Amino acid sequence: MGGTRLNGSEILFKLILFVMCALIFLSIVYPLYFIVIASISDSTLVSTGKVFFIPKNISMFGYNQIFQDDRIWTGYRNTVFYTFAGTLVNLLITLPAAYVLSRREFRARRFIMFAFVITMFFNGGLIPTYLLMKDLHFTNSMWMFILPFCVNVFYLIIARTFFESSLPSELYEAAAIDGCSHFGFFIKVALPLSKALISVVGLYYLVGHWNDFFTGLIYIRDNQLQPLQIVLRDILLSNQVFQNGAGTGGDAGGYAQKYADQIKYGVIIVSTLPILVLYPFLQKYFEKGVMIGSVKG
Amino acid sequence: MKKALKLVLTACLCTTLMAGCSNNGGNEQSTDAGNAGGNTGGAKVKLTAIISKHPLTKPLAEMEWLQKAEDAAGVDIEWQEITADWGQKKGTMLASGDTPDLFVGPNVITDADFAQFQGLFQDLTGLLDQAPNVQEMFASKPETKIIATQPDGKIYGLPKYQRFWPASATRQYINQTWLDNLGLAMPTTWDELYDVLVAFKEKDANGNGDLNDEIPMDWPGGIGGFFNPAVLLGGLGITLSDGSGQGYFVEDGKVKNFLTDERYEKMVIFLNKLYKAGLINPEVFTHDYSKFQSVARGEGDKAKVGFTWGWVASDRFGEQLAPQYTSMSPLKESAGFSGKLSWSYDFSTLNYGVNQIVMSAKTKNKEAAMRFINELYKQEVSMQVLFGSLGTNIKDNGDGSYSVLPPADSKMDPGTWKWTSTWADNGPMYIADSLNLTLGKDMQEVLVQSEPLKDALSVDTEKDVFPGMFIKYTTADNNAMSLSNTNVMNLANTNFAKWVTKGGVEAQWDEYVKQSKKAGLDQNIEIMQKYYDDYVSKK
Amino acid sequence: MGSRTILGTFKRDIQLWIMIFPAIAVIFVFNYIPMYGIQLAFRDFDFSKGLTGGEWRGLFYFKQFIESFLFTDLLTNTFLISFTTIIVGFPAPIILALVLNQIQRKKMKQLMQTTVYLPHFISIIVLVGMLNVLLSPETGIVGYLMKSIGFGDINLLASTSTFIPVNIISDIWQHCGWNSIIYLAALSTVDPQLYDSAKMDGASRWQTIRYIDFPALVPTIVILFILSMGNILSTGFEKIFLMQNSLNLPVSEVIATYVYKIGIVSNQFSYASAIGLFNTVINFIFLFAMNAISKKASNTSLF
Repeated sequence: MGGTRLNGSEILFKLILFVMCALIFLSIVYPLYFIVIASISDSTLVSTGKVFFIPKNISMFGYNQIFQDDRIWTGYRNTVFYTFAGTLVNLLITLPAAYVLSRREFRARRFIMFAFVITMFFNGGLIPTYLLMKDLHFTNSMWMFILPFCVNVFYLIIARTFFESSLPSELYEAAAIDGCSHFGFFIKVALPLSKALISVVGLYYLVGHWNDFFTGLIYIRDNQLQPLQIVLRDILLSNQVFQNGAGTGGDAGGYAQKYADQIKYGVIIVSTLPILVLYPFLQKYFEKGVMIGSVKG
Repeated sequence: MKKALKLVLTACLCTTLMAGCSNNGGNEQSTDAGNAGGNTGGAKVKLTAIISKHPLTKPLAEMEWLQKAEDAAGVDIEWQEITADWGQKKGTMLASGDTPDLFVGPNVITDADFAQFQGLFQDLTGLLDQAPNVQEMFASKPETKIIATQPDGKIYGLPKYQRFWPASATRQYINQTWLDNLGLAMPTTWDELYDVLVAFKEKDANGNGDLNDEIPMDWPGGIGGFFNPAVLLGGLGITLSDGSGQGYFVEDGKVKNFLTDERYEKMVIFLNKLYKAGLINPEVFTHDYSKFQSVARGEGDKAKVGFTWGWVASDRFGEQLAPQYTSMSPLKESAGFSGKLSWSYDFSTLNYGVNQIVMSAKTKNKEAAMRFINELYKQEVSMQVLFGSLGTNIKDNGDGSYSVLPPADSKMDPGTWKWTSTWADNGPMYIADSLNLTLGKDMQEVLVQSEPLKDALSVDTEKDVFPGMFIKYTTADNNAMSLSNTNVMNLANTNFAKWVTKGGVEAQWDEYVKQSKKAGLDQNIEIMQKYYDDYVSKK
Repeated sequence: MGSRTILGTFKRDIQLWIMIFPAIAVIFVFNYIPMYGIQLAFRDFDFSKGLTGGEWRGLFYFKQFIESFLFTDLLTNTFLISFTTIIVGFPAPIILALVLNQIQRKKMKQLMQTTVYLPHFISIIVLVGMLNVLLSPETGIVGYLMKSIGFGDINLLASTSTFIPVNIISDIWQHCGWNSIIYLAALSTVDPQLYDSAKMDGASRWQTIRYIDFPALVPTIVILFILSMGNILSTGFEKIFLMQNSLNLPVSEVIATYVYKIGIVSNQFSYASAIGLFNTVINFIFLFAMNAISKKASNTSLF
């Protein structure tokens, strides 16, 4: 039964595991904690390294600046909409395509995959793309955030890999004998077994939408359509303007400088909080045992 | 059943796609909205415009002077206000031809853009007769006309002239309190500076008991440009122009670059001596501007930095410590130096600006647009463009003179107040030399603190200053120079940092000069000399 | 049954074609249609004649780039940074996933998981700002730690030898957790019965990892590795640009920052396009080669 030998190496393992986790945890938590306290401390003290564990000269100026900007609320609203609608479209198109590409009998799979991968490297450039969007009337409209580029080839590949390696071929054969079509198999069998995959790819797409600022930057003019990231980036860059310095022309001095950094750190918190709330709900799909019962019987 | 579901979903998707295609939406910026043709008796002409404004600037709708200016010109402008990433947005906007009627901002559309996007911008020469204020500016300050005119004689962008700014952006400061504490005299040469800095370092200059917290010397980390050590070259008689960020300067009518000049080598040797003695901030090349400014604010009433450069004391050191610092005259390289001391002559870049307002060639109502532009260049309006609305920011003294008022928000410094209230230096304007305006506290301080530099700055602007603002290059030359400058600056910055921190400039100097030549430096000087001679001959 | 050509099997596979059609349409419309813009690398940009009307220059701009003063430095720096980032950064999420997967207490596992992916959301500007504060030799906490273990006179931000390590480690710090999600998901599909039977056979934890966990990850690892080879010359722009300073410039000037700098003063669209195309062609060649090798060696491949 193993006995003492097993216990010895088991304990050592557990110890090493614990130490590693503790180190990882601390090395991540401290900087994050630092961001939180820096967002409410006096930025001069933060820059000169006087803030370590406790916030100093607490002031909510950073958060005030962020939240009193009306655009933030519009931004939140827009982002939530774009993220959910966008992710839905992403999954609707990507998952079936990944399934198809995982079927070995699909003759065109090599060619299509190759054609897709090419687009990960070669693209026509910003200007032709912009002109196309303009011709399709996507520019300055909400559809810009949902339809164009809704298939991310990288995630498509991940999904395909997953289908290939975790859907045993016996499964489909068994279903086909019972008269099940590809559509049926996909919806009734493949998807329910792929909860982990859907969660992962869904999460990746979701976060991609949430963090996207480039689309709004280039294609959208109307402020009412801008997502949260654009608003935050504006606020962030506005306060980074001192980065490249120079007080020519009586440039804004001490006052703004003092609080610039607070805003910088506050921005991350405002931007991340919603996602933080979401992740635990998805985590349960990563639990073990998703495949139980599928192969047997 | 499931199949049906799948088909329904696909159908929905297709409908969505098609809906997206046909969704023009009222969301699209209508650049061709607006009353076609002229005014319909009193109705305002609608125009669209983009402004690249400073991030601190408040929304344009809250600027009274702007509303009044629009009313006076009979226009109603729909503004798109951009505070960041204008460079990225501009590319696609211009290439797709998707432009508003007016563009406002500092060099909002560059000369290179005019050359590249032919036909997109309106040549204003034909419309100038409708803009008497602009003509007035051209007549009183012919430099502005030079700035505005492209090599082919056309005018696409109008400049600004703001008159009050000093002849140099960089002022040199030393902590007087520390000098007094240690009984030292104001240094006048590089060697005297060395001795003073050593004393700062070794003798607890700020008197707080900690011998190690003083930073005798600090600067942002570059070579040239504002607030960087290249101004020390004034101690060897070199006159920098507009900061000479890339090293170019003029001496006796010849275009040169200090990056391969032996006087620069001397300065680097001096800086290395200082660094080796621990007199320079060890983070000088790694700190960001935010940290750079924070450090100078010291702790409470104890200062941290002894000697540095900046715009004005209150901005550089904060209000509390500013009184401790004195602004200095340039330092002679050595007691034996008999030439004329000089500094960086920045008058042009501080007071003039290129392409502050540009009109699109597709504007439906050009006369209305020009009327608005003309209104901006009116004396009274220009003043408000720069400092803010009459009443809140400027007081009309009633006798034809005006005064800039202190900030309404007492916690704000005047610089920030100006930038918050209005377009400030980013707008088009003409402030005549004849305007009687009393400046705010910050500007007055700048002028007072510039006094010690007066002698050094009395230069021969014809022969000793490179007229960077007034020269227009061809696209080919501009492209070639920009590529070479990228190479040269890469080489220069790398070596400067290396030599100051680790030494070795004497041994590596010749190889460095050779490399700089390979990088294209001499070709650039040749090109610039050609344009300079051309410019001088036309005056 | 039936012909083995694509057309022959079309009818049989019609359902599959319908399922993949939207994706094909999207990629074709949004990615392939604008591809004509690639010719900008071979043509001058003449605004009045549209993107396709400028004068044909062939390989002129490529030559200009290859012969330029900084070419060797740019190529070396770009390659070094990307390559070391891949080599060091690739195994990290795998190891992390294996470690986290071994945690048996559910609460602790969830806590660790949530914690490690948080840094991913920090924007680059803030991250570099944090690096500047924390790594500063005089005032940062990491600086203090370094001094206390005797490395006080190394300025992490200021030397050519520390630039790449700092870059890589901060990259791993920021993205390792997020990147491990995909591996964790793959590990979650392992049948728990395998673990039970391994335990009954007396396998140690190390052996479990080696013979059960790791093989479950192999397909994912191979595919992701091939894809990462396609980034052999991609360093990203923003982070490096923000971390550059005069002291690390010899190793931190990369293709992306160079293109940015030449673009500031002049609108050299064609030159920038040519450089970009040069970059992607090299990336693609690496990917293709890696894919071929993988096909031979392990039968798993991208295409």
